[in-house]
Amino acid sequence: MKEVIRIENLFKVYDNGPLQVKALDDVSLTIEKGEFVAIMGASGSGKSTLMNIIGCLDRATEGEYLLNGMNIKEKKDDELSHVRNTNIGFVFQFFNLIARTSALRNVELPMIYAKIGREERQQRALQLLKDVGLSDRGHHLPNELSGGQKQRVAIARALANNPSILLADEPTGNLDSQSSVEIMEIFQKLNRELGTTVIVVTHEPEISLFANRVLTFRDGKIIGDKRRPPKGKGGNHHVVD
Amino acid sequence: MLWIENIQLAISAIKANKLRSFLTMLGIIIGISSVISITSIGASAKGAVSDEFDSLGKAYMYIMINYSQLAEIYSDYSVMTDDLFSEADVEALKERFPQDIRYAVLYTYNNSETRVGRTTADLAMVGVAENYNDFNKTIRMLYGRMINESDVKGRRDRIVIDTECARKLFGRENVVGEELSIQVGGDARDFTVVGVYRMEETLSSQITAAMGRTSYSVYVPYSAMLSGEGLSSYIEIYGNPDKDVRQQGEAYATYMNRIKDKPEGFYMVESAEGQQDIINQILGVLSVAIGAIAAISLLVGGIGIMNIMLVSVTERTREIGIRKSLGARTRDILVQFLIEAVILSVIGGIIGTILGIGVAALGMSLAGVRVVVQPLVVVLAVLFSAGVGLFFGLFPARRAAKLDPIEALRYE
Repeated sequence: MKEVIRIENLFKVYDNGPLQVKALDDVSLTIEKGEFVAIMGASGSGKSTLMNIIGCLDRATEGEYLLNGMNIKEKKDDELSHVRNTNIGFVFQFFNLIARTSALRNVELPMIYAKIGREERQQRALQLLKDVGLSDRGHHLPNELSGGQKQRVAIARALANNPSILLADEPTGNLDSQSSVEIMEIFQKLNRELGTTVIVVTHEPEISLFANRVLTFRDGKIIGDKRRPPKGKGGNHHVVD
Repeated sequence: MLWIENIQLAISAIKANKLRSFLTMLGIIIGISSVISITSIGASAKGAVSDEFDSLGKAYMYIMINYSQLAEIYSDYSVMTDDLFSEADVEALKERFPQDIRYAVLYTYNNSETRVGRTTADLAMVGVAENYNDFNKTIRMLYGRMINESDVKGRRDRIVIDTECARKLFGRENVVGEELSIQVGGDARDFTVVGVYRMEETLSSQITAAMGRTSYSVYVPYSAMLSGEGLSSYIEIYGNPDKDVRQQGEAYATYMNRIKDKPEGFYMVESAEGQQDIINQILGVLSVAIGAIAAISLLVGGIGIMNIMLVSVTERTREIGIRKSLGARTRDILVQFLIEAVILSVIGGIIGTILGIGVAALGMSLAGVRVVVQPLVVVLAVLFSAGVGLFFGLFPARRAAKLDPIEALRYE
């Protein structure tokens, strides 16, 4: 399998005056194309920091991070913007749709920054909304949508430039259980049908059941890395480690 | 970055905060509208002044003693009869410059009251020679005739008055043949009305009318107004309008110095053209000065834009974080906020321009003067407001563009 992410001896240290906080402490990790990874751990365990570094929003203090073979450390800020634009799709806990901007325009946004022409952009945005089951909500504003609908718009937006990785930070943290399952099923479908690499940060064990690999964090270190067959579509049987 | 997207974005952001956007624009609106209205009023006033002098004729001038020069040479100089002009001087001047001098006369003036029944009126009596109205275009004869050659030669007590004076004294306009008793040099004399004219509207007649007319311009034969010695301090001249007016004036003054045996610079010539230049200069300086003060309000407007853009950047910190996470580069964010600032101030500039022209038009129509709008000023005003937006938008936009994506995403 092709390696999408290679992380070697990664450290992230926050200099807090006299106090140095190690958010990531010598983390090494590889993720291959097509994996569905859940990152678990208590808050402050370092999982969000790792997520930000994988998403090229933040830089490691020390260590190597290769994304699709690119050495991220050497990239300038604007080059990182380009990497995020073309390689990574973000899904956030609080949806992070742009207010007063229609669902369609929100989905178009990454394509605007990728300088894709208006017509192609609009067609693709419509198709993506259709794929997440919101073909009739394109012209609605974010505050006219339910939580589950907002998150589906966010997923459509994340997929706009065909990213190699979908990064979801607590994507179900603000959803009811039924919407949560629907969202996770979309991730699963994308993972299975398109081969998209999906990485989900969560602290809910039920959510991690959709993944085929679970990484557990504590105090900035990986303390568990387990692979298993994922939960089937619509099924609810628990897989024993 | 895609311009159309950014412009749409900016407009929707401005629309989302309509009241705030309007209040922000207000500084620019006031600044631009005052600059536009002041420059338009200045240009209109210039136009009006030039109309005024055109009606007098630009070759209108008078020769006079150069008092300011005399005061410099002699500590106290009292004018002697020899310094004043006589009929002979006028004739000599006419003979010396027969081609250029169209009209020349000893200037005579008398201000006195007349009474018809119980009605009184103040008359500003100007002594003229025949054909005066060939040169002074403000006089339009309605009834009777203008002062003619036989009136002048015979030193007859004849008078031409304007329609308003006629209406005031007699209650009607055609008063040819009526008599007016007027004090001239201590004597009460009866002047016969030979003509009634209507004064063409000019800026000064408008102003006079607006301020409440105190006296009426009336014309009499200059010969009838001359005192015993037949002398005057001024010679009124209409020169050749097709030749350089200043050169003509200098030639006349020099000639007068020579025939009256005076030192160089003793006599001088004031021309309508020269006065127009001076008035235009004063108007120009005034326009620039008031314009500069108005420009300060543009500065204040610009600071207002900067202020509101900083607020907007803070409010939209999270949006900036989202955009960056989706791939916006520093430049994309910079351009987005710059365009918003520029559009905000350009809209203000356009509203200000329209308002300014409106104010100028209203003011000028009240004064009865045609409005002159300078297209260049309008273009400059809009460009300048764009510049203000760009300049004052740069700092907030840079602040937005430099935000750290993670911190921006965490911002509540």
